[in-house]
Amino acid sequence: MALLLALAATLAITLPLGWMWNASRMPDTYSVMDMGVHDPGLTVAAAGHVSGGPGAHQSGPPVGSAGNGAPISVRDLTEKEGGTPDVRVRLVAAEGSVTIGPGVSVPGYTLNGTSPGPTISATQGDLVEVTLVNESVPGGTTLHWHGLDVPNAEDGVAGVTQDAVGVGQSHTYRFVLRQVGTYWYHSHQVSHEQVRKGLLGAIVVAPKAATAATTAADLTLLSHTYGGKRTLNGKVGEQRLDAAAGDRVRVRVINTDPGVAPAWVSGTAYRLVAIDGTDVNEPTPIEGKSIIVPAGGRADLELEVPASGAARVQLSGVSLVIGPTGSTAPTTRAPGQSVDFLTYGTPTPLAFDPDTADRRFVYSMGRRPGFVKGRPGIWWSINGKLYPNVPMYTVSEGDVVRMKISNHSNETHPMHLHGHHVVVLARDGKPATGSPWWTDSLEVPVGRTFDVAFVADNPGIWSDHCHNLPHAQEGLIAHVMYEGVTTPYRVGGSSTHNEPD
Amino acid sequence: MRTVYRVLAGLVAVEVMLQAAFVVYGDAGLGIYVEEGGVIDKAGMEAAFESGEAPFPEFIGLMLHGMNGMMVIPIIALLLLISSFFSKVPGGSKWAGIVLGLVVLQVTLGILGHSFPILGALHGINALLLFSAAVWTFYRSRRLSGEASATPDVPLDRVAV
Repeated sequence: MALLLALAATLAITLPLGWMWNASRMPDTYSVMDMGVHDPGLTVAAAGHVSGGPGAHQSGPPVGSAGNGAPISVRDLTEKEGGTPDVRVRLVAAEGSVTIGPGVSVPGYTLNGTSPGPTISATQGDLVEVTLVNESVPGGTTLHWHGLDVPNAEDGVAGVTQDAVGVGQSHTYRFVLRQVGTYWYHSHQVSHEQVRKGLLGAIVVAPKAATAATTAADLTLLSHTYGGKRTLNGKVGEQRLDAAAGDRVRVRVINTDPGVAPAWVSGTAYRLVAIDGTDVNEPTPIEGKSIIVPAGGRADLELEVPASGAARVQLSGVSLVIGPTGSTAPTTRAPGQSVDFLTYGTPTPLAFDPDTADRRFVYSMGRRPGFVKGRPGIWWSINGKLYPNVPMYTVSEGDVVRMKISNHSNETHPMHLHGHHVVVLARDGKPATGSPWWTDSLEVPVGRTFDVAFVADNPGIWSDHCHNLPHAQEGLIAHVMYEGVTTPYRVGGSSTHNEPD
Repeated sequence: MRTVYRVLAGLVAVEVMLQAAFVVYGDAGLGIYVEEGGVIDKAGMEAAFESGEAPFPEFIGLMLHGMNGMMVIPIIALLLLISSFFSKVPGGSKWAGIVLGLVVLQVTLGILGHSFPILGALHGINALLLFSAAVWTFYRSRRLSGEASATPDVPLDRVAV
């Protein structure tokens, strides 16, 4: 009798755990379309559809829709513009070692022999063709164009918009650069590992018409941690840019690591001229404050070389000195205060009215014990549920979409929606009063709530995930899906093993 | 089964001891790293936690503390509770339950401590409670030479005859 009771008590504990474990296991292969809980987010006040996106940079032709009700495959959502590419790039991905300083090398992955890979520089309106060749990256690889709102078939997410490119294979991406500004590319196959090991690079898109006030120098600073050591453009320590006093210099900071990286300047005041590629309207001078660059985010800084000495752009452990030969600027501690993007710059009207939203979604992040992919732990939840029971946010082309993103977990989450830029309307109910804050990598601190909006103008199936890539791999990932769009690609599988995160 | 129960209870105590060692080892390393001019932001911490390629060698202590505390110890505590059903230790399930409860509380405090440092302080105090409970659970489950069963929370040798 006692033994029976003991057995019963054991079963009472192990059976629910076993059931939860079994329920959390993912099949060998699955489509993201079958994942999660369909969330139409429909509002009653669905007014007429409005098109148009973040300012002038977003006005591309509509990319096709399922007018006759027949489903459209992600595979067919390619770049519609034909012709000869203006920019052709061939990127060969390989396993190798990355040299980050004199005599300091770490094992990793390279593109054309280096990491970061070559910077892709182009002009707005250019048709770009990138051929990715996988020479030796085990398990296959892809390239995702972080921040560029490319057609869905070019988005580079393994198992959602393409199959991973295996060793010896190649894949060609074609898209028109409709936006200007600072972006980056990185692998979206086993991304938490491949990005860390170096499959990444910068993209800089210059405006078609040169702006009236051009800068004397324009420099990209891609920050990445290799083997525990922080680098700028792949090199540790201090770097220099020779510039004369009075020169105006633009510095494009890209944070490719999985957490926020504060950036600050000593020796002179500076301005934050662009966030995630979108220009800030009337940026004001900043002194004694840092810029919090979210994981995956970009911040373009502009400064004038001071008459006396130099200026120093700093990130944790690395810096860039800008000034005449021999000049220097002090290394300073990170300022305690940071620039609040919610109030920075001057407002301009949006091209759409977020108050007439057709869809309203909630993306509430938490943390709770349970099983994800068969592993016990304390995992990230979305709207109270663990992966794969996450929302599938469903929209139609032309919808104005609002999303309330909140973080009830104990860690910050940099949220990245593919294929679109969102504009921040409010934080904790406090409306945005600065320049329109368009972002693709939004840092959501613990306990904060953001109201964001975007126009659904780019049909496809788009990841909407945390860019702390290990978090995405731990299940902090949902998708925005357009009605009538399907994908033939599957996550998992044996021949091409797609593992996007 | 009593032996299994005893070993698991003892293991929890040893594990808690290790946890204290890991975290102080890691923190001490971090202190030296910072004093020598090293800087680290969240981007650096996250990259280190993910890759294990740390900016300072003692970082391994912080990683072990996290993995051991969130995975290994809860599993041991759960096994302790299950083994209590089969071992004839009077009050064995009650004490296994207390240990498991303190483990759950400990993990919760540890996680919340990253947002509210004061809860991290409670995490330190609760560690001592958990350690004591595990040691006591181990101690009180011993087979007494005189009478095989029957042990209240006061050991027999202390009971006046």
